[in-house]
Amino acid sequence: MMHANRSRLARVNPAVKLTAHLAVMLFLMMIADPITSALLWLLSIIVGVMFGGWTMRYIRKRIVPYLGFFLLVFWMLAAFGKGEHVLGQFAWFRITEEGIYHGLTIAFRMLGFVTYGLLFTSTTDTTQLVMSLIHQYRLSPKWGYGLLAGLRFVPLFQSELAQMKAAHKIRGFHAQGKLKSFARYTLPLFTQGIRKAERVAIAMEARGFDGSRNRTYYHTPVTSKSDYVYAGTLFLAVAVITAVSAFSGWLHWAWNE
Amino acid sequence: MIPYLGCNNLSVRFYDAPSFTLQHLSLSIQRGEKVLLLGPSGCGKSTLLSVLSGIIPAAIEAEVKGEVTRPESVGIMFQDPDAQFCMLTVGDEIAFSLENRRIPRDEMNGRIEKAMAQAGLSVPKDTPIETLSGGMKQRLALACLLALEADVLFFDEPTAQLDPQGRQDVFTLLKSVSDTGMTMVFIEHVLDGLIDWMDRVILFDAQGRIIGEGAPKDVLTRYEKEMEAAGIWRPRLFPHTLEEACAPSHPLQIGWREKLKQSETRARSKGAVEPDIYTIRDLTIGYGKTNILEHVSFSLRQGEWTAIIGENGAGKSTLLKALAGLEKGKHGEVYFQERPIRKWPAKKLYEQVGFVFQNPELQFVTDRVYDEVAFGGRVRQWDEHVLTDKTNRLLQEFTLNAHRDHHPFMLSQGQKRRLSVATMLLFDQKVLLLDEPTFGQDAATAAQLLARLEERKKQGTAIVMVTHDMDLVDRYADRVIWIADGTIQFNGAPYDLFSSGASLPGLMRPLHYEWERRMRHDACQPLPFGSR
Repeated sequence: MMHANRSRLARVNPAVKLTAHLAVMLFLMMIADPITSALLWLLSIIVGVMFGGWTMRYIRKRIVPYLGFFLLVFWMLAAFGKGEHVLGQFAWFRITEEGIYHGLTIAFRMLGFVTYGLLFTSTTDTTQLVMSLIHQYRLSPKWGYGLLAGLRFVPLFQSELAQMKAAHKIRGFHAQGKLKSFARYTLPLFTQGIRKAERVAIAMEARGFDGSRNRTYYHTPVTSKSDYVYAGTLFLAVAVITAVSAFSGWLHWAWNE
Repeated sequence: MIPYLGCNNLSVRFYDAPSFTLQHLSLSIQRGEKVLLLGPSGCGKSTLLSVLSGIIPAAIEAEVKGEVTRPESVGIMFQDPDAQFCMLTVGDEIAFSLENRRIPRDEMNGRIEKAMAQAGLSVPKDTPIETLSGGMKQRLALACLLALEADVLFFDEPTAQLDPQGRQDVFTLLKSVSDTGMTMVFIEHVLDGLIDWMDRVILFDAQGRIIGEGAPKDVLTRYEKEMEAAGIWRPRLFPHTLEEACAPSHPLQIGWREKLKQSETRARSKGAVEPDIYTIRDLTIGYGKTNILEHVSFSLRQGEWTAIIGENGAGKSTLLKALAGLEKGKHGEVYFQERPIRKWPAKKLYEQVGFVFQNPELQFVTDRVYDEVAFGGRVRQWDEHVLTDKTNRLLQEFTLNAHRDHHPFMLSQGQKRRLSVATMLLFDQKVLLLDEPTFGQDAATAAQLLARLEERKKQGTAIVMVTHDMDLVDRYADRVIWIADGTIQFNGAPYDLFSSGASLPGLMRPLHYEWERRMRHDACQPLPFGSR
């Protein structure tokens, strides 16, 4: 479940924000050099700190953990990558220039995805997002309200799974293999989930919900000039970074490899 | 004459069912009437409620014959507090009702506040629904119905998942709503606090036929035998009142005196003192900074029946899980047979300790009732003869033999519960831990299960159960542990707890103790307690 913080970014229309961030993430996929990728990643951190209400504490708790993942991805690609220019070789590791180059690119791209994603989730309220999708993207209320109802099940699922694991422990049940235990746990959870979902659907219909657009709304998110200013500024910053990168000769497009 | 709400010659059949759930049923309900539908489980009263409210066939498909009349707008309150909401906060949820009715945006806030006030819901509008207690959730459900401004309200066991205190709160609230002249139709298991303000009770038999209807008092007295045979819970007191029962030589007093005497005798009798099986020392359990239980110490004896009571969220289930080694304490220790429970290997421990979860479905591990009971023996590679013999005896004991080849999920609720108990007795476990074993069951199935447990106790099994049913505690338990505010408030014989002069916040004494208390105080004419 997402909850908005009190930042300036939290006031940006969720649908516009989502589109802007997805666009930047898509752009990140087209970049194939580590420096541009790193700069674009830094941009998200700067936006987060300046407009997203990110504190040092938030960064330490939410972003620093991904650095371990970053190192892992980098190491995997760097140490086992292919390439002509060998920098060093020991045991079965063969470090090449190309490997490091690739490793850094992929690792920064991954970090960028994570931070642009977090930039969205930490500043957006679930209900507001769904309502914004209904209003700005003409999502059918049937799907929108259904999605909201479904989200309420997630914590419920977690507690039921914990209970089932405890129950199986008492029974001395050890499933042979991952697949079997998966089936054993999912089937009852699934049947319970379907039963619950049916009940919720009935309750919604009983309260006059018909899934059509023929209704009024309590939350009516609108887009304003400031939403487009945010998206525009973000795109401009990305363009400036890319241009600087191109002038400095760092820039590599994914299709030019 | 066309009734305000009702049906004429109604028959209903679900598509996968061979026979009709309801047949040729006719019923009419007047505007403003409060009606209670009463019948054994599976008699079709829920189906009738669904047809009258229009859920069938609008949301649930079924073959419906006959005429149904209903006012334009109706609202329904369901039993599962978690399965009737689709939004995340209180305000949004009530707004959902208004949105569906196409109420203009600028009228919504006013209407939401009004509905909340009517339903006695005094929380901020942006309160997340998941943080509300069961009782508060049902208040919210009512607020959502009131926002619909329906002509008729239907209630499908609205308090089935609440604790006794929450239930009384909801009933009081509903009664206050009923004074507005609303038409209301109820299905409810527990009748105290509800049946006394009903205009009419309609009684069904197991086949879904109406066998009687009339004023609550008449139905309860005239059909006493039928109700008992069908396993329908009766109100504890109604049609009498406590004031009335205090009058000299009221017939109810005979039974009450008898019960009190039995409980007192049990509390005073010094049977053979069995050794302790559990010792809990200074146990503290909590997550993060909040502690659920703090510095809890007590011991339990072999072959003792212990009840753990307290309000919802008091930590009863947590304590029960700690006894099974499923919750780790922050401080302190749980000793089972003088050995810390965390030092017991799981396999050995669960040959001695059985645990029955509130939702039996989550603990079934096989596809057949027989295999379910035999499971533990198979894992331990028992001799097939011994295993067959033992399993058959358990199936017999818990009257599940007829269903031995069925899938556990296909059983009725009562049978599922019995099966989950049976699976925990294959090793003749020394302790049986049960989380609300009689929850949501009708009187007949609950009694059947308790009789089995009583039998086991005589054979030396210690029984520890979490429950809200104080009559059950008084009748069966040797020891009651009352938890509130994270600590043990009382640990001793039920008689001593219930007959104490102190007020017991959050607990509802069994009626006979309530009566005795009144007798002792000046509320009624004091009577000589001759026999006691």
